[in-house]
Amino acid sequence: MSGRQEMKDGENPVLMTVRGLCKRFPGTLALDEVGFEVRKNTVHCVIGENGSGKSTMIKILTGALERTKGDILFEGRPFEPRSIRDAMTRGVTALYQELNVVDDLTVGDNLTLGRETCRFGIIRKSEALPTLLENLRSLDDSIELSDRVGDLSVAQRQVIEIARAISSDCKMLVMDEPTAALSAEETQRLFKVVRKLVAKGITIVYISHKLSEVFEIGDCVTVLRDGKIVGNRTIEEIRNQTGCDSESEACLELIRMMLGKVVLEEYVPSENIREETLLEARNVNTRKLRNVSFALRRGEILGFYGLVGAGKSEIAQVLYGIDPYRGEILLEGKPIRLHGVSKALKAGITLIPEERRVDGIFGELSIRENIPMMRMEKVLRNGIIHRARENQLADGYIKSLSLATNSREKKVAQLSGGNQQKVVISKCLNRESGVLLMDEPTRGVDVGAKQEIHDIIRGLANQGKGVIVLSSELPEILQLCDRIVLLYEGTVRTVLENGPGIDGDRIMALVAGREVGA
Amino acid sequence: MGATSKSIQVDRQKIVLLSILAAIVAVMSFLSPKFLHISNFQNILLQLAPLIIIASAANLLMITGNFDLSIGSVLAFSAITHAFLSKQGVPIWLSIIVCCVLAVCWGISNGIMVGILNVNPVIATMGTMYASRGFAFLIARWDGGANISAGLPADFSDFGRTNLFGFLPIIIVFMVAVVAVFIFVEKKTVLGRYSFAIGGNRRASVLSGINVPGVTIALYSLVGLLAGFCGVVQVSRVGSGFPNIAEGMEFDVVVAIVLGGTSMLGGSGSTAGMILGAFIVGIAANGLNLLNVPYFYQTITKGLLLIISVFTDQAIRRRG
Repeated sequence: MSGRQEMKDGENPVLMTVRGLCKRFPGTLALDEVGFEVRKNTVHCVIGENGSGKSTMIKILTGALERTKGDILFEGRPFEPRSIRDAMTRGVTALYQELNVVDDLTVGDNLTLGRETCRFGIIRKSEALPTLLENLRSLDDSIELSDRVGDLSVAQRQVIEIARAISSDCKMLVMDEPTAALSAEETQRLFKVVRKLVAKGITIVYISHKLSEVFEIGDCVTVLRDGKIVGNRTIEEIRNQTGCDSESEACLELIRMMLGKVVLEEYVPSENIREETLLEARNVNTRKLRNVSFALRRGEILGFYGLVGAGKSEIAQVLYGIDPYRGEILLEGKPIRLHGVSKALKAGITLIPEERRVDGIFGELSIRENIPMMRMEKVLRNGIIHRARENQLADGYIKSLSLATNSREKKVAQLSGGNQQKVVISKCLNRESGVLLMDEPTRGVDVGAKQEIHDIIRGLANQGKGVIVLSSELPEILQLCDRIVLLYEGTVRTVLENGPGIDGDRIMALVAGREVGA
Repeated sequence: MGATSKSIQVDRQKIVLLSILAAIVAVMSFLSPKFLHISNFQNILLQLAPLIIIASAANLLMITGNFDLSIGSVLAFSAITHAFLSKQGVPIWLSIIVCCVLAVCWGISNGIMVGILNVNPVIATMGTMYASRGFAFLIARWDGGANISAGLPADFSDFGRTNLFGFLPIIIVFMVAVVAVFIFVEKKTVLGRYSFAIGGNRRASVLSGINVPGVTIALYSLVGLLAGFCGVVQVSRVGSGFPNIAEGMEFDVVVAIVLGGTSMLGGSGSTAGMILGAFIVGIAANGLNLLNVPYFYQTITKGLLLIISVFTDQAIRRRG
């Protein structure tokens, strides 16, 4: 609160101005004419869903990445850092999600890391240590210099990195989702640190996707969507605009900005939903999930929707035997323990993973070699890979999924994102499981391929399979799913039947953790 | 387009290897009159046969992204055990089987350490390398000396010195057979396909339900089996057991495989390439021997050959 109260709108001078910032990667425009101002001594939040361009922007601001075009002014002068170190000497330091501390060294060693003074190659006690220590003490006095960093909590390690950052004449500290790995209590402690930093005269750029945090410590907010700025506001403006102190209304406004207008494509219910329950979870708990229960019927597409970090992927990982869990899972009415991928596969559950490059495809192998991978028996004859069968199988999927390629011998790494995804889907369909888990089935896929993949999913449900779609795109969920499970911080908020009367605003409010009157 | 560019790339790499090979043959036949002689090539083949046999399996292992440093030691262990058991009166055929089984056990232990206990393959197989070499010396000591040469049964050397049809040494026959089997395994079996999958994308392999530890153990066992078998054939051919044979052979195997275009990180490679690599090493060494080049220059040449060919290969890949 303190930061906000001290700031009187318009009085703080501008510290950084960004104008027309663009970043082009091969094939995509990650940042498109981004412009905003950061005022001195404020907490400036940047929010957006995954893939909105937050990380790219931060990397450019902190010198880790070069921009394609655009101007950045810092303290009125052009700011063109060539490296992270270069940006640091100008006073811009980043606190990344992956902490840059050495676990096996003590707190003291970590503080002086990289600026040891040496004599004949032997480290001498750093002259900077007293200052560093003072910084550390002012932020958190529970940390001892002799502690081994590996024994500290994530929050404490963050503090060490912050202490290190602000000792080198830091004017602006960029924090990339600093609370992602923190508990609620640790988050509060971090906020205290952030407020102390602001009191010391440091400007904070705070990246997050947790909206409640924005209202708690933010002064201004920049909302990114698909590489474009959709809003630069002060928190006051948003509060005033949405009327009195109703935080939930203000939050909803931000979500609307973040996710964009929900274009509702026509939802066609699955034709073949049976009453019979195929897969049921009862009170499933993991490190991230709390008492998750749901049921999937045969022939149904069940959607899981929530903001980033709500626990969608965790549900997929439990059902695919990757994460350990407590609770009960029933398959066709019979209890089953899912530990290990092979157990899940044997039970008839297949996962189409979220990160297809890392988890899905074998890029160096051809389409033909990729497709049978999860059930080689289909291409074997007398235990030997039978080329004709393999060709037939590959050609079948290339045709039925309209995989755009001129040859089944093409290396999968050379295909476009949408076609790679179709290879992954083919590979998983070849397993012929009764339950399909699809984690972000159309992420990074172009519009045409997206529609095709949706048609495939619909087709699978109509064949009588149970399909679970986990997606962070609400339009996808609304177009595809027969029922929608809404998740918020690892819990099931509610389960909605899809249909003409479904209320996008209400869904957004629920997944943002806002209470909605019945 | 993709398929053609891939095959062009592979072919180009094989062409590079073939031209290196041709260049070495040309230079050597110019420098030494003894080089282009049938008996010399027979010699080269005999020398290379154990290496190619073991490298056939080790190549597939490296395609999964693992490798084995215990090859030479397991070979020596098996050789000395065979000599020891035969001298103790165990029938030759039974001793051969026992030695092969023991060698497979070394391979399984490597496989369990790497595949299940997730020990780094360098460390795990280096441990096996020292342990099995130590056992080889220990067994020689049980016999009462530094090596086992006297007192072996009269028919001890029959197996290793067998010539099929009167002129084909048995080890060459095995070499051809093993190479054929592994080309088949590489292209036509689930084990081969899974090896490429695991080396290319380990996480996707796990998520696809591939039994990664199982494949790893199977391949380490195959490498152990072939090393053990070569040990038996070698000791039988020579007629006496030395615990220090095949020292550093694991590195010759790695050199042949890497020269042949198999990535150290796994995911790509071929048996055919490995054979070309082995011949480059073998012919270069043979030529230098004929020229009476001292041993240390030969080692230096081997090192340079390895670095230059891998560098060329990488340069080609980057451009292609």
